[in-house]
Amino acid sequence: MPSPSSSPTEPNPSVPDAASAPDPSSTDDSADDLSSNEADPAAATLGAIHEPQRLHPLTLLLRVGASLPALLVILLPILRNPGSTENLTSLVLGVLYGLFALPAILLQYWRFSYRITPKQIVIQSGVLNRKNRSIPIERVQNTQIERNLVARMLGLAKVKIETAGSSSTEGSLEYVHQGEARKIRQVVRSFQRESADAEADATDEDEADVETLLDMSLRRVLLSGAFRFSLLYLAVIFSVLELFNPETLIQRFIRADRLDWLTEVMFSHPALAIFASVLVAVILGWISGIAVHLARYYDFQLWLDGDKLRKRHGLFTVTEGTIPLDKVQTLILRTNPLMRAFGWYELKVQTIGINVEEQGHRVIAPFAGGDRLLELARRVRTFELPDSFANVSPLTIRRRFFRYTAVLTALLLPTVYFWPVGWPYLGGVALPWWGFGLVPLTLGWALLQYRNHEYAASEDGFYIRRGVVSHYLWIVPVEKFHVFHATASIFQRRLGLKTLFVDTAGAATFAYPEVIDVPADEADAQFNTLYQRFKALYRSRVEAATGAPDTRLDPDERPRLPTDESIGEPSE
Amino acid sequence: MEAPASDAALADVAAGEPVRSLDPSIRTIWMIKMAGASTILFLPALFYDLTHLFSPNAWLPFGVLSGGVLVAATLYCLAWPRLRYQSWGFALRPEEIYMEHGVLKHVRTVVPLRRIQHVDVSQDLIEREFALGRLVVHTAGSRSSDVVIPGLPLPDAEEIRDKIKRFILEDPLIEEPV
Repeated sequence: MPSPSSSPTEPNPSVPDAASAPDPSSTDDSADDLSSNEADPAAATLGAIHEPQRLHPLTLLLRVGASLPALLVILLPILRNPGSTENLTSLVLGVLYGLFALPAILLQYWRFSYRITPKQIVIQSGVLNRKNRSIPIERVQNTQIERNLVARMLGLAKVKIETAGSSSTEGSLEYVHQGEARKIRQVVRSFQRESADAEADATDEDEADVETLLDMSLRRVLLSGAFRFSLLYLAVIFSVLELFNPETLIQRFIRADRLDWLTEVMFSHPALAIFASVLVAVILGWISGIAVHLARYYDFQLWLDGDKLRKRHGLFTVTEGTIPLDKVQTLILRTNPLMRAFGWYELKVQTIGINVEEQGHRVIAPFAGGDRLLELARRVRTFELPDSFANVSPLTIRRRFFRYTAVLTALLLPTVYFWPVGWPYLGGVALPWWGFGLVPLTLGWALLQYRNHEYAASEDGFYIRRGVVSHYLWIVPVEKFHVFHATASIFQRRLGLKTLFVDTAGAATFAYPEVIDVPADEADAQFNTLYQRFKALYRSRVEAATGAPDTRLDPDERPRLPTDESIGEPSE
Repeated sequence: MEAPASDAALADVAAGEPVRSLDPSIRTIWMIKMAGASTILFLPALFYDLTHLFSPNAWLPFGVLSGGVLVAATLYCLAWPRLRYQSWGFALRPEEIYMEHGVLKHVRTVVPLRRIQHVDVSQDLIEREFALGRLVVHTAGSRSSDVVIPGLPLPDAEEIRDKIKRFILEDPLIEEPV
């Protein structure tokens, strides 16, 4: 269930604060204020927004504006041929829109309020169904400020509040004044800091320890786009074709006879035509790659602000976000062959409190040189890149080769079997038979996958390299290990191989740091080592926290399954 | 089937508590569920056979398709639960849950208790008949966001749940599980 408090220590997410008054909807605020006032009257409530706040009034304008396209669709018949009697229904619908949609927008605005107390963010919303959502401050992973083009012109901003338990944005304030947005973020951050380390004294000045980690110039952004390709242009082309008839478009802009020579060439030299269209596709992909990158990463800036990373970027929609350093789970270095040839890399961090668009991965540095990037990554989390990585078993080439060949065969055989007589034959056999010419390529691919797959388990973490086209390097710190898996499929068992996987919180579901085809003994040994390191780290932390060695449970108190001997005894 | 937890390399992880099997009656439950699923497969085959009973150019002689499906399904329902039962083993250890399962793909998993977000015990209709429960352990991981141990006697499942809960509550480290 997506809820801000999914940890067992806070069992009931619907009640805003377990310690507060029995009727949370009416009195939790005052209870909060009381308790925090007792704790630290001067600092704790400073900047808190106790009074329920409304969104910025201009929000109304934006929302009505956003609903206008719907009205346009409703009124389209009238606009097309005014005066027709068949327009009555759309007119009625238009009136209904005026009667319901506009008041709904107004009521929604009227009934939406938020406030921020030192313990929680409370958002009340809903006209018929009242929703009272409270997000505990310490659960907030990220407060993100977004300003799209219209909002920027009106001086507004959208504040998104993300938490760990949920896979999407937990609360969204759409829209507040720009200054207010910044204030909210400031307030949330200062409250978090207080609750996190109340005794730490060096939290006085906010701007004092801000350090710029990365500042991308326009040239750098353009350069980084030049190394990416995007298929966005296809979407643009299709949507243009959707709206306009291509023939009229051509007639309007280009006279048809000018295109005649082109069609002539295309029909007389098909190979040339194919080459030219590929070239055009590549160039368009290249240009749209630059455009997409420019729009997304324009003026990319990354700061280290105490224990948080802050970043801001974007051309039309400016995105601002914070990432607490201790919420960073995994560091991911990525590169594609083109970037690699010139020594450029991208750095992402895996967090939880997933922003859907970035799939749990936040780009920290879109484009930087290898050494620079490693240095930057070390600021996020200290690590020592191991000198030597171990290869997986060469048997993986065999297994992958057989696997790909089997898949290829499974794809080709039916087409060979059902190939109609009239369809093209080449060299006396049906065309798909030639598909088996790809078999050597699968061997090459398997070989490349073996070459590009390495791992190293060192004292501070687990390092995995993988990927033929996109090269990935995952850095998984010991302290963020989650669940340990060692799997062996039926084919792997025949070859004595295993797959090793250390799960982390919020890991992606498609590209994840698995170590595929490690020799079974080696895999078990690594599995053991990794788990022992994890255990040792947390044992030492427990010792440091309690001052007592070993775990906190006495041996006889430790969880134990009822074995045959103990079944008869009373359990406690 | 290899015996659970016998590798020398896993001596440390696999030390301590003996690896436990599931309750034997889980085989019956699996069998019932698989039989239900197989019926759904069998019915279309039977339908095909019946509708093509008098067809002059039948693809297969009468009864081959439905018979084949029936035999395959019966073998599957008889053999698979046993194999699956044999491959299952788990142990609740002081700091982790250890489990292994999988017939075709052997999976060995260690879930540190510290990483558990919350624990449920659930029971469906058939399991209720056999007084068995299922322990569902939620973590924040991606692939293993819920780890399930099926076929535990309900009191055992609840006891394990309570122990895990107590472990989490008594954890002196004040940090989020993530």
